[in-house]
Order: sequence, then structure tokens, then C-alpha cells
Amino acid sequence: MITLTIDGQKIEAQKGETILQAARRAGLYIPTMCYLTKVKPIASCRLCVVEVEGADGFILSCQAPALDGMEVRTNSAELFSHRQNIMKLYDVNHPLECGVCDKSGACDLQNKTLEFGVAEQEFSARDHKRDLRKWEFIGYDESLCILCEKCVHVCNEVIGDDAIEIFYGGYNSRIQPKGTEELECTNCGECIAVCPVGAMISTDFQYRANAWELEKIPASCAHCSAGCALSYERKYAGACEAGEQKIYRVTNEFEFATLCGAGRFGYDFENRVDGKDEAAFGKAIEAFRKADTIRFTSRITNEEALILQRLKEKYGYRLVNQDAYNYRQFLESYATMSGKTLFGGSLSALADADGIIVMGSRILTDNPAVRYHITMASKRQNARIIYMHPMEDKAMQNVVTQFVKYEVGTEEGVVALLAKALLDGKVDVKKIENFLSDLDEGYLSAESNVGEEELEAIRKSLTRCKRIALVVGEDCINHPRAAQIARLTALFERFGGISVLPVAPKTNSLGVALICDLDSTCGDYTVGYNAPGDFVLSSFGDGDLDMPALNQQEGTFTTLDKRIVPTNVALPYGGYVLNDLASELGVKAVYTIDYTEQLPEEKGFEKIRFDDIPYYFSNRDGEVRGYTLKRLKHPVDSSVEEVAELPEFNGAILYRCDPVLQFGPQTYRTSQLGKEEPTLYGSQQFAIAAKLTDGVRVRLSVNGTEMERVFKIDPELKGTIALNPTFDLGLSEDLLSSDYRYSQSKIEVVGQANE
Amino acid sequence: MSLEQFKDRNVMQNYTYIPVDNPPVEPIEKFKQVVKRTFKGELFVGLWVVFREMVRFNIHTVKYPMEKLPISPRYRAVHKLYRLLESGNERCIGCGLCEKICIANCIRMDTRYDENQRKEVTEYTINLGRCIFCGYCAEVCPELAIVHGQRYENASEQRAHFVLRDDILTPLDFLKEGKQEEFDGFGAVSPNADERIKKTPLAY
Repeated sequence: MITLTIDGQKIEAQKGETILQAARRAGLYIPTMCYLTKVKPIASCRLCVVEVEGADGFILSCQAPALDGMEVRTNSAELFSHRQNIMKLYDVNHPLECGVCDKSGACDLQNKTLEFGVAEQEFSARDHKRDLRKWEFIGYDESLCILCEKCVHVCNEVIGDDAIEIFYGGYNSRIQPKGTEELECTNCGECIAVCPVGAMISTDFQYRANAWELEKIPASCAHCSAGCALSYERKYAGACEAGEQKIYRVTNEFEFATLCGAGRFGYDFENRVDGKDEAAFGKAIEAFRKADTIRFTSRITNEEALILQRLKEKYGYRLVNQDAYNYRQFLESYATMSGKTLFGGSLSALADADGIIVMGSRILTDNPAVRYHITMASKRQNARIIYMHPMEDKAMQNVVTQFVKYEVGTEEGVVALLAKALLDGKVDVKKIENFLSDLDEGYLSAESNVGEEELEAIRKSLTRCKRIALVVGEDCINHPRAAQIARLTALFERFGGISVLPVAPKTNSLGVALICDLDSTCGDYTVGYNAPGDFVLSSFGDGDLDMPALNQQEGTFTTLDKRIVPTNVALPYGGYVLNDLASELGVKAVYTIDYTEQLPEEKGFEKIRFDDIPYYFSNRDGEVRGYTLKRLKHPVDSSVEEVAELPEFNGAILYRCDPVLQFGPQTYRTSQLGKEEPTLYGSQQFAIAAKLTDGVRVRLSVNGTEMERVFKIDPELKGTIALNPTFDLGLSEDLLSSDYRYSQSKIEVVGQANE
Repeated sequence: MSLEQFKDRNVMQNYTYIPVDNPPVEPIEKFKQVVKRTFKGELFVGLWVVFREMVRFNIHTVKYPMEKLPISPRYRAVHKLYRLLESGNERCIGCGLCEKICIANCIRMDTRYDENQRKEVTEYTINLGRCIFCGYCAEVCPELAIVHGQRYENASEQRAHFVLRDDILTPLDFLKEGKQEEFDGFGAVSPNADERIKKTPLAY
């Protein structure tokens, strides 16, 4: 800890912190225009200058480290006029279109222009035609751009797309797509979020509402298991609609948190129900009395999961949720080896890591938040990123330092080989030591196609790393041998000090796995909650009784980060909720959130009321949202099973994988993301293996579920594995979500795409 | 710009007092005043004036609603939405300031990105049932698009009649006939606006 004085106030700072960071943490204000907390200092605006006692001239506080005994002045007449001049220059030829600009009212340029009293303009420059560019979700208005470079830096350092760059040309400088004519990226929209002016805009939101009239509803994203922080911004649905509310856009607290495109653009998946349908409710109660099984997805809140668990305790229902069941099995097996009820990894550990292994996940589409943290680790501390998967992902090339390809189905063997490579000599339990030394490396290497040199390269590149993280994907969790894989991955945590993060496949898989006592098979009569069944409760509007969507509910999610995060009601819902059904059936509570404080403490949850769960952002604490699950002690069983014979997959293989921005039926229902055509993407090689040509319409049957797809050849793909999306399948998507992701299917050509 | 002139809230600065007799306090004084007023014959003076004017047929009563008094341009009655004189386009740019400033919360609008890359106002309503005719909307409007008209009769049988954009927007034929008069009432540009304007060096 060092002490410095800023404007006569003594403050403490950590070593290595910059003056600006120290000042902000102490609550002192230094104006900035280009500074963004989550990226390296950009230093393009020069507004953060300060005076330091004993130093000549002004010093950039965003870059200069705080030193012990330093005396800093953040404000003086010279500094003010310096900053005023900067603002005057920013204002040169800036179009006076605040009246229609989307950013007006939340614009840094407006704020700082007023703050520094720029009432008139002394400078001018001859201007030229500046372009308005529009891509699918993102638009760019060159004339409004102040070239702060925030978008470029966030795209490169946090997202990892590296899709935009500055075109340097003096007064002609602008932002442009990098290396391509049109913008080709994962459409996360983070550039829109960080833009201090209205230059980067959401094409959908443009000109539809103003910043000040939108009401922000703090919530958590319901699409994937990262549960990112976001705000639904709503106002009345139309000038002439009485009382209706609508979400106009989603924003995020971009200084501290990041959001992907699904969260940002896929927000209107609500199920609008105006009145209570008593007849359907009566039938639902009847169905519950008749049923012996409740089948549901993991896209529910913790509270609903607890209601279902209570119903099970009272009526003995079977609770069937395949993906959470698999995840639970994985975690339980993991715990028997690691000695803790939960895994040790977290997103922040990932961002701080200097060596990361991604195993069994197409992480870019599976979980963007994990990918962003990997990118941050790569860009901040140059972390080694080892990506192990049967398919290379071109979009990850920016960060991945080593790609290791293994054969489909051999995950168990690969993890065992990896354990041997990384943990050799670190294991002090005889049984496991023997297991590792007795591994039949020749067989495993041959079957999995992971060579000795590759393993050696991994070992070498990670030897110097102090904080290693392992990301385990859905391929392992839904593997037929998941239990064994879980126990092997736990070895890394137990002996290697590696933080392991199993990526939960769906929004609340972790919560459901912890709260519900799940069963594996259905009985005779099934009530489906957002899942197929004999009586269906559905938030998609197509079931026997309507249920609210996740943006119409309050409650909590358990994220893959082991955090319990709250979400709030963004849109009204007039119908019945699960709690009404449960109350009618004798599991009584006034509100669903009454269950928040009843979440099982023996699983690590805290006894805390929903309204007391924190949700705020501050310069001092960053993102403070929810609480972290406690990791409790678990009995250890050190016996290890032999690696089973590795399966072989030959010929054309389908990989269950939704494209960027799609996570399932919810995203497909939204107005902006629902236009996507479900397409089977494969390589040229796959086309030959499956006897297909580009643009044919094919019929597939994956584990009994039929679907029709347009097949397209993606030149960036290699091998005989094709990406088969499932986001358009509605409720039956749930049937597939727990199977091993690779499958072989008869592919039948039924026609051409445009027929 | 300094806010001094707005911050001076001493409203008595230019006022002069009009001397008024002190009212009587003592009962006897009060009694005297009543007697004086009763028997002075002022009542008959008044009656005489009325009678005189009646026989002269010099009647000043306005025969409302056949006849209406002219009202000041600063009068704030039902709003009007103006059009640009030359193109006939709506002046409203959809900035939303009127909606924001409205203290009765009675203005609502819908806007969108139109085919000409401009912000288009698709719906604009003022709930006259709630409007308190304070004039803030007209004052805040940067385009002089919304102004207060002179139509003060807005009784209706249905609330739905309060009020749609079509009712207050200048009709196009009306505009072509030159009947949209420039507004010099509440919120209009001041007569010396040209002197007050600050020039921005734009080298377009």
C-alpha cells in the first residue's frame, strides 16, 4: 500500500495502480473521455491530465502509476483551460443533431462540453462527406465519431473479435471493419455500449426512443449460464397504447461487465398474457394430480426449481431434467475426487490466469462470457491458451496459442493424457500415481490422435504459468463417460492447483442441479414445464397453460461462476405462475421470491431475502451482484477407474451447436435474432462424405428428433463434422440438449434451399 | 451565459403601492359606512347607466358563441403542430423534449428510422384531458413545431377525442393556401433573436 495526496486528500493506493484508478476508487473525480476500466489505457483524449508536484507539465493520470508521497492536483485554471480546449476541438464540426441522436442525454460529449463551458466555437475545419454505414445489428455514423478508440480496444482486448480498426488519416480518420469490406464479427454490440457519442449505434434501436425516457430494469441475462448483468430498458409500447410496456433495448454496465449479442439484441422473448385463464388453470391442477413426472428445462429460476423440489417432496413426483441431471452427475463425481462440493474455477480466475486450457467446448458459441474472459487473460497477461477440440474454431485464432485436435468421443482419453502430462510428479496419492503411470499412452494417443509432441508442447508452455485454468465444456459433461471425466478433471484442481470451470450447458443448470433431486426417466403421465409432456406449461404461448418468460419474472439464477444473481420483472404478466399452481397444490407461498431465503444452505446457498441481494456497480468494488455459493467439504474417494475403450466415430458426424447469438428457443423467438435460418454448416470434406452439395435442403433425424435444414458449405471449417443447430426446435430442443453432442445420422436430401 | 437574471426572484422590484383606505375597525365606524353606502343612491346610478345604454342600443356584450373576442397570441389553448413552409414536411424532429418537460405527463410520441435516414414521428398524442396548458412544450421545442393555438373550446363527449396528431397538425391544403401563420406567442423566437445568436464557424 502506498499513500498519495490528491487535491489535499490523502488516499491509499495499491502498488501498480495508476493515479486515475486510485482517484476513482477514493471517489475523486478526474474527467476522462476515452478511459474504459476494463481495457488498457487508450490515452487518446488527454482529458485526464493532472499536475504532479515536482513534475514538469501535465501528466496523464490514466497511464501514470501512483507513487508513494505523490502530490496530485486534478484541477487548476491551466488544467481547466487545457481541458476546455480539448473539448472545443472535439466539438469542431460535430453535427448539431442532438435533437435526434440516440445518445443525447447520455452523451459524454454533451456532458463534457457543458462541464467545460464550451459556449462558442472558435475553430473550424473544412469537412467532407462522411459515410453512414449499416450492418446487421450495428451502425456507424462517421460524422459523429470522436475517435476515442474505445470500441476498437474493447473489441480487441475484451471480446477478441478484433473486427474493427482505426483508419488513420488525420482529419479523415474513421473506424472501419478490419481486413474486410463489411463488418464480420460475433455481433456482441459491445462497441455500441462503450461508444461515448452516438457514432456506434444499434440499428434496431436507432431513433426509436431517447435515453432519458427509458426505465432501466436491472436484471440478469437469461440466455446462457453466465447470467451476465444487463438492464432491460422499457417504456410504453406505443403512443396510443394504454398502459402497455415494451422493452426497447438492453444496455449493460460496460465499465465493469460485458454482454454478448444474444443478451443485447435478444430481449423480447416475453409471453404476453393479459388475463388469468381459469379453465386452463383447472386443467393444469388436474394434470398435476394425475401426473407422476414433471419434466422441465434448466431455463428457470432457482425459486421455481425449489418449488418443483417441494412438490416432489409432497407428492413424490419424478423430476426429469436431463441436462441438469448430467451436470449434477458430473459435479457429484467431481466432488468425490476434489473433496469440495463445487469446482474451484470462476470467471475472474479465468481472466487472471496466465495459462488456460479449453477442453471439449466450442466456447465461442457455447458461452461468450467465458470466451471474453479468456480473451482478457490473453490480452492482459499474454496467457497461453490451449484449445482442445475436434474442430478448429477460426474465430478463436486471435487468442489461441495452441490448437490440439482430438478424435470425436475420445474426451476421456484426452483428459487422462492431459492429466499425465501436467500432473506427473505432483500427485502424492499412491492409487492415482499408479493410475497415471500405468496409462496406456500409446493406445490413447493413437485413438485420440493427440500426439506425444503436442502433450509435451502443452506441458512446456504451461510450466512457467502460475495461475492455470481449465475450462471443461459440454462435450465432457454430456459424455457417456462423464463421471469418469469429471473425476479426472478434479485431479487438476486437487493436485495441480489448476482452477477448473465446467461450463454449465444452460442458464440455470447449476442451480437446478443443486436444488432439485433429479430423476433420470419419465413415468406414465408427464407435466412438461417448457418441455414436452402430456400437459405442457409453456412460456412460448403454445402449451396448455401459459407461463411467464424469464424477463417477466423475478428470481435468481445460479451462474457457472457459482454466483446467485437476481433478475427482475421487466414486463408485466397477467396470467398464472408456477407459484400459483404450487399454492393450489398445497405448497404455499405468497410470492415466488419468498423461496429465495429457503434455498438449501447445505448446498452452499445463503439464507438471504431476495430484496437484500446486492446488485450495484461502483468504482471501488466493480460489479457487486448476488453472492457466491459456499464450497463445502465432501468425502474423498481416491480410487480411479481404468480408462474405458475409446469409441470411434467415422464418416459424417453432426455436432449439436447453435450459431453465434443463438442459445435455444428463447433467442429464436426474439424479433432481432429470430430471422436466422437454421443452417447445417459443414466443410467441403463433410459435403463429400455425406454426399451433399451446397444449398440443398436435408432432413435429419438426431436421436429420434426429426428436423429439416439447409446445408451450406463453410470454407472455414475442416474435417467431417458439421455444425447442426437446434435453436429452432421449440420445446423439443430440450430432448436433445442432454445427449452427447456428436451424433451420426442419416442425412436425406429433400430438395433445394429456395424451394 | 449567466443565470443571474433568472435567479433574482425579488418580484416587487418595479411595483408601486396603491394607497387604500384602512377599513373601519370600531363598530360605530362600520355602522356609519353601511348607512353611507345604502343611502348614497349608488345603486340608482348604476341602474340609470344600464337603462341609458339599453335605450341607446349601445350594447357591449359579446354574443358568444356567435361572436368571439380576439385573444392574445400569447394565449395558451389547444396545441398546433406546424409544418415547414416550403417543403410541407413536419417541423417536428421527434427529439422528445416536449414529452420530457411536460409536467402533466400528457405527451407521447413514437419515432422510427425512416427510409431517408431521418427520424420520423409516426405517432404524436397530447392527452388534453390531462394537459394543464402550461406552455412548457411550446417553449422547449427547438423547432417551433409545437405551438399553442387559439382554439380554447375542447369539450367533447369522448376522451378519445383528446387528441390525435391529425387534429392539430396543419393540413397540407391549409399550408398551401398560406394559412399557417408564423407563431409569435409563447416560446416563439424573441424579436431580437438575430442579435443574440452566437455564430459557429462551420466550414461546410
